[in-house]
Amino acid sequence: MIRKKLTLDYQLNTGWLQPYVEGLINGQAVAWCCASCQYTSFPPVRTCKCGRTDGEFKVLNGEASTVYRTYGQDGNFALAKFEGADTASVVKLALPDEVQDWSLFESNELLSGCLKPLQKTSPELVLHIHPIEN
Amino acid sequence: MSSGRDVVVSGAALTPYNRRKDNSSFRDWAFSAFNNALLKSTLEHQDIDALFVASESDFFTLQLNPATVIANDTGLSGVSAARIEGGGASGQLAVHAATRAIQSGQVSHAAVIGVDPSASQLDAESVKNLYGFSFDAWTDGMTGVSATVLYALSFQSFMQRMKFDASAQLAQVTIQNRANAVKNPCAHLGIEHTAHDILNSPMIAAPYRRLHCSPLSDGAAALILSRSDCMPTQRNNAARIVGTGAATDALHLGARDDSGHFKAKQSAMQRACKEARITPDQIGVAEVYDAYAGAQLQAIDALGLSKDLDCDLNAGDFSPDGRCPVNLSGGLMGQGAPAGAIGVGQTASIALLLEGSYFEDLQLPNIPRYGLADTHGGVCTTSAVTIVARSATA
Repeated sequence: MIRKKLTLDYQLNTGWLQPYVEGLINGQAVAWCCASCQYTSFPPVRTCKCGRTDGEFKVLNGEASTVYRTYGQDGNFALAKFEGADTASVVKLALPDEVQDWSLFESNELLSGCLKPLQKTSPELVLHIHPIEN
Repeated sequence: MSSGRDVVVSGAALTPYNRRKDNSSFRDWAFSAFNNALLKSTLEHQDIDALFVASESDFFTLQLNPATVIANDTGLSGVSAARIEGGGASGQLAVHAATRAIQSGQVSHAAVIGVDPSASQLDAESVKNLYGFSFDAWTDGMTGVSATVLYALSFQSFMQRMKFDASAQLAQVTIQNRANAVKNPCAHLGIEHTAHDILNSPMIAAPYRRLHCSPLSDGAAALILSRSDCMPTQRNNAARIVGTGAATDALHLGARDDSGHFKAKQSAMQRACKEARITPDQIGVAEVYDAYAGAQLQAIDALGLSKDLDCDLNAGDFSPDGRCPVNLSGGLMGQGAPAGAIGVGQTASIALLLEGSYFEDLQLPNIPRYGLADTHGGVCTTSAVTIVARSATA
């Protein structure tokens, strides 16, 4: 057997997605709005379904509701719809601090939450679930 | 009916798919699969004009230019050689590239070799993390999403549309594919699972438990494809590729009109059927891309193999003795999933089934006229299907 250990330290240029990445780090949902049909995608889709590539970045209010949720060894994630977006987004779910019971995620109850500033430079899309009233 | 641009599957071979513990390398498996396919074809090395290698990731092989390495190893140095990559669909896209090269008239015989060491060269956690970057690395990848998570979310959308008992259907697919794999001597996971075993396996990403998932495997598969007018005379019963189709879909699940529908697969199938001049209901056996148990159900639906999925599943239409047996090999869930080899192996299995020389315990006694090999990458972000026809003499 040949043993070879590689350590890779990528510094990825964000290019066109820079506003999206910067937004997430600051806790903002920055979407792309098509100049022609106003279709709003988050995460941004560069070429709209209508075929146009011109448009502008738009800051949404950062509030979202889950559509489908999954839990297990790979973590808690959801497909969530952000207010003002026409697309849904795959998000990591963060539970409110007071919630200890992870079995909550076994129910089909829709949850709502918002983005918060990230403590890292890697642009994770994390939805912080709002406190749940019993 | 064939299109008149048929390509003959002169040779087909697969190595065992499993986690290698014998110190053999992906180069050994590619070498073995190619030699066995060439032997079956009755052709010689000098007959091969072009080599197409499918390998999903340099991260798996630690080899940035595998096509020329494999060309040298297999004694094909001097031929045109290219590596084809399309995520999980790499193997089937390589089959398509070789088919097009032959149909162009520039190539008489092409070798296709699919290979990946998806199991033994890196730890499972590293491979899982790498696969997380096979969707949109800048968005889903940075969020730490695994393949299982994305497939689980897509399947939940599918379940909502289909309105059937998902846990029962997932168990049925899992039990059937693994039971088929028991009869496949090259399979990674030939195990008789029960519904109890499945329910007691760990939850990875609801509704998917460990046993609903395909394994990471090592292995290789190879094909020798020939222009029909150059076909070796000894291979008159060889099957023919009569239709190929490929398509892509929106990269983000949430940007699709229906995140549970494999639209790219539907489009790819329509294109392949158009070329083959058949309809999906003429398919009599299929190897479909079951990275997860639910993905098999989504595939059957998108491919048009069923008009009423719940009814057809309950009637056993896709069981080994059903109307259209699906994944007789065991599929990815049972036979295994060495990424680059998957699509090549699926087409090889269908071709062998249609010429009557598949594994004895899995060979269909009444050979159907058409078979299908269906492969995709991402959560069906890119799809490639191939329709294979039985020879008139088989």
